[in-house]
Amino acid sequence: VDLQWSDTPSISILSLVTKLPSGLVIASLDNYSPASRIGVFVKAGCRYESPDNQGVTHLLRLAANLTTKGASAFRICRGVEAVGGSLGVTSSRENMIYSVDCLRDHIDTVMEYLINVTTAPEFRPWEVSDLTSRVKMDRALAAQSPQMGVIEGLHGAAYKNTLSNSLYCPDYMVGHVDADHMHNFIQNNFTSARMALVGLGVDHDVLKQVGEQFLNIRSGMGTAGTKAQYRGGEVRVQNGSSLVHSAVVSEGAAVGTDEVMAFSVLQHVLGVGPHIKRGSNSTSKLIQGVAKATADPFDASAFNVNYSDSGLFGVYTISQSAAAGDVIKAAIGQVKAVASGVSEADLTRAKTQLKAEYLMSLESSEGLLDAMGSQALTRGAYHSPEVIAQMIDSVSATDVANAANKFVSGKKSMASSGNLVKTPFVDEI
Amino acid sequence: MVSYQNPVSHQLIDGGMLLKEWQTAFATTGRLLVSFRKWYYNAAGFNKIGLMRDDTIHEDSDVKEALRRLPEKVYNDRMFRLKRALDLSMKQAVLPKEQRTQYEEDVHYLEPYLKEVIRERKEVEEWSKK
Repeated sequence: VDLQWSDTPSISILSLVTKLPSGLVIASLDNYSPASRIGVFVKAGCRYESPDNQGVTHLLRLAANLTTKGASAFRICRGVEAVGGSLGVTSSRENMIYSVDCLRDHIDTVMEYLINVTTAPEFRPWEVSDLTSRVKMDRALAAQSPQMGVIEGLHGAAYKNTLSNSLYCPDYMVGHVDADHMHNFIQNNFTSARMALVGLGVDHDVLKQVGEQFLNIRSGMGTAGTKAQYRGGEVRVQNGSSLVHSAVVSEGAAVGTDEVMAFSVLQHVLGVGPHIKRGSNSTSKLIQGVAKATADPFDASAFNVNYSDSGLFGVYTISQSAAAGDVIKAAIGQVKAVASGVSEADLTRAKTQLKAEYLMSLESSEGLLDAMGSQALTRGAYHSPEVIAQMIDSVSATDVANAANKFVSGKKSMASSGNLVKTPFVDEI
Repeated sequence: MVSYQNPVSHQLIDGGMLLKEWQTAFATTGRLLVSFRKWYYNAAGFNKIGLMRDDTIHEDSDVKEALRRLPEKVYNDRMFRLKRALDLSMKQAVLPKEQRTQYEEDVHYLEPYLKEVIRERKEVEEWSKK
């Protein structure tokens, strides 16, 4: 049992993490809040899709409310509503997160539905085929956002396998992912050793009991995941948009390595977007640097993602199509400048911004549950914000410069969309 | 001809003849009952035009939903049998004895789906009362 204390003036809050023999990790933090939030985190994101079941995680994301062995779809909906709770599912490339929230008194009711949904879904063929229209809607909504297209394209270009899988069902599989695919995926991936049960505002023993009794259905590791292979490619989507969205990255840091904090600090040194609405972005090196290269409206921010065995770091730019080349080159020039050295003032400023961003993300119960769950899943423990703040503070200027150098010298991947007539190719940057 | 009785409203769709439910008041097991049922099945006569019991069910909204849920193959077989029966009816003909559906071959394919549809509808009605 991993114990961490953090004292507030009036109450002591204890976060507890236990690992059961089956491999299931149970984490809870009783903050005495009147509302509780419980999540089941599973290492079953789209990276675990195989070539013959592409899109199954998209369907699973939509199928959270379908009939289970213990309750029909109608009953789940009405039952959760009746206690004023909510049931939701989020999925990323690595994890699927099923979460419920409700008032403390109704934990038992919603917990029952949550366990049903995660361990005993029936995937009735007619209910699954009714999901096709929702898949199409999701895809249409994603197509509206150029950022989504660029990021999905970027992952598809940067990796050979696993992480190259899209969060959305590919075109050719719409209507062809059926109940068998979903059952097989659940059998192979929703196993105890890859799950974490996390609760906020719940008693740890209650969670432990639930974990031991109900989440032991499939033991073991399931199918082993494959290591992500970075390849560094390029994808260009020519369309009529006058704004060019472009992401240029190279391989970054995996979660749990020493470099992770350095890349996060580097990201804040370079700039992650406005901290003040309609402000002048005076602290963003990227914005200040690119502003010298073009007078047209643009946006530039540092892009940083960390996965369990790989990461991506680079710049994401939005520019007018005629100025695209100048903007991209100026942004990368700024990263090169940081690679040769970063001032103490910039470093301190970046660390403060990173700490503030992390702490503010923990202010909401969704953010806190997400942080606890992701940590419980990846390393089986939860680091308190103080420990994280210390880790951020220990990053030195050399670490940041080394991270920037890794980007400059690494093999680049690029994804662009828009009117690409003036957008350079990845080998021309 | 006897048609299938609507299980919810318990009304006779086609008046007059014996009901399958009536005979369950008699002994529930035994060779006598089985031979009686066989006789009744043949007397009902839909097997002469190649239909199964569930092909003759009156299509109300529950049955329509249950039909929607049938697996493709079962649904296609049903359609074929109905088509063949309509064709025979037009020609005022019946199938030769070897091709008629036998009592033992008759599969109540729709029954589980129909039961589930009705259960779900009752659940919705229960919740609406609250």
